[in-house]
Amino acid sequence: MMVAFKIPEGLLGRVCEDLNRPHPFAAERVGFLSCRVGALKPSGWVVLAHDFHPVADSDYLRDHSVGAMMGPAAIRKALQVALSSEVGMFHVHIHGHRGKPWFSGVDLHETAKFVPDFWHVRPHLVHGAIVLSLDSAAGLCWHPQSPKPVVFSRFSVVGAPMRAWRGENEREA
Amino acid sequence: MKERLKRQSFLGPQSDQILNDCVVAIVGLGGGGSHIAQQSAHLGVSDFLLFDPDRVEDTNLNRLIGATAEDVIAGTLKTSIASRLIKGINPEAAVDCIHGIWQEHHGLLRRCDIVFGCLDSYRDRYELEVAARRYLLPYLDIGMDVHEGDDGFCVSGQVILSMPGHLCMRCLGFLREELLAKEAENYGAAGGRPQVVWANGALASAAVAVFTQLFTPWHKAHAATVYLEYDGNTQCLASSNRLAYMRDKQCPHFVEFRDLGDPFWIPEGF
Repeated sequence: MMVAFKIPEGLLGRVCEDLNRPHPFAAERVGFLSCRVGALKPSGWVVLAHDFHPVADSDYLRDHSVGAMMGPAAIRKALQVALSSEVGMFHVHIHGHRGKPWFSGVDLHETAKFVPDFWHVRPHLVHGAIVLSLDSAAGLCWHPQSPKPVVFSRFSVVGAPMRAWRGENEREA
Repeated sequence: MKERLKRQSFLGPQSDQILNDCVVAIVGLGGGGSHIAQQSAHLGVSDFLLFDPDRVEDTNLNRLIGATAEDVIAGTLKTSIASRLIKGINPEAAVDCIHGIWQEHHGLLRRCDIVFGCLDSYRDRYELEVAARRYLLPYLDIGMDVHEGDDGFCVSGQVILSMPGHLCMRCLGFLREELLAKEAENYGAAGGRPQVVWANGALASAAVAVFTQLFTPWHKAHAATVYLEYDGNTQCLASSNRLAYMRDKQCPHFVEFRDLGDPFWIPEGF
């Protein structure tokens, strides 16, 4: 199963700029990328980032056990975008280091909890999560008919220059 | 780095891996596309998707790289000639040949990283650019033409890089409604368009250079939009004045990635 993720460089720039802003109390920021999808033969998807939806300052919960905790309003707004725009939603955050990033245990646990909510509003679409570093990225994609997420095979930034990072398919999500 | 690529190590320490991982589609394997296939294989590209519905004919031998007189007799597919050329340079290359028009197999483009368009008609170019934008693919167009003037024939051509999120071929004035309309009026009556190997080669080489510049870190002057105009009478390639004028403008034709992905996407099993 191949999952290729593509994002225009201008959109990625907007994401990074927003996520790097300090928050009044949370240690980090999070947001959602709305995405459209194309089928790949023989099996797989190309996920195409379409727009960025930052989580509003007021939609974070005060939880100092994690870097950032979204409240129910953040999820509700993301669900509304998925419903009204017919898009898959990918949670996105940044780890402030160089090199290949990966999700923490908390990231994986929390993401696995809220992703199925998106199938209530867009049952046919893939949804997931992306983690960025200062110079790389990785992602997971949930398919409605598969209990386990699929690691992005490739993460491409479309622009000048073109940049791409290969996924680590052997990594367990 | 592979031994055969060492002379191009200046392209960057990971350039061989970058080029090896890159999936390149070439639409049209005639005079321009055959040069691009050959040069890309030399460069280290190892995954190709080739589209062309035609078989080689006698009139192609003035320019089609890799084609032989035996191929004309055998009626060899143009994609097969390009595949043979690529595999002769890099036997490990994966070459997917599509003997047909790309529009009937457009879904295959989704897995690519870049599309080279080496097409004859404006309509085909327009449709291919639209398809490339839909799947966030850079589109590199080449083409040449010959016009008769007072002093003889004028050979001209273009290399255009159309990048999603940036200026398109309509913004650059290369695709215009009157050209599309005129072409539609003359549909079926155009006859063979003049082509010559050195002009095809010059344009293809420039396109491969633009591609290499886009994907490898050999220098830092990256351009998201390229419009090179070719004067085949003086053998000059120069950046278009139109691009200089339009450089800071926004593309109004492909607005904010509104039309991305499959229009109706239902996963298998639903």
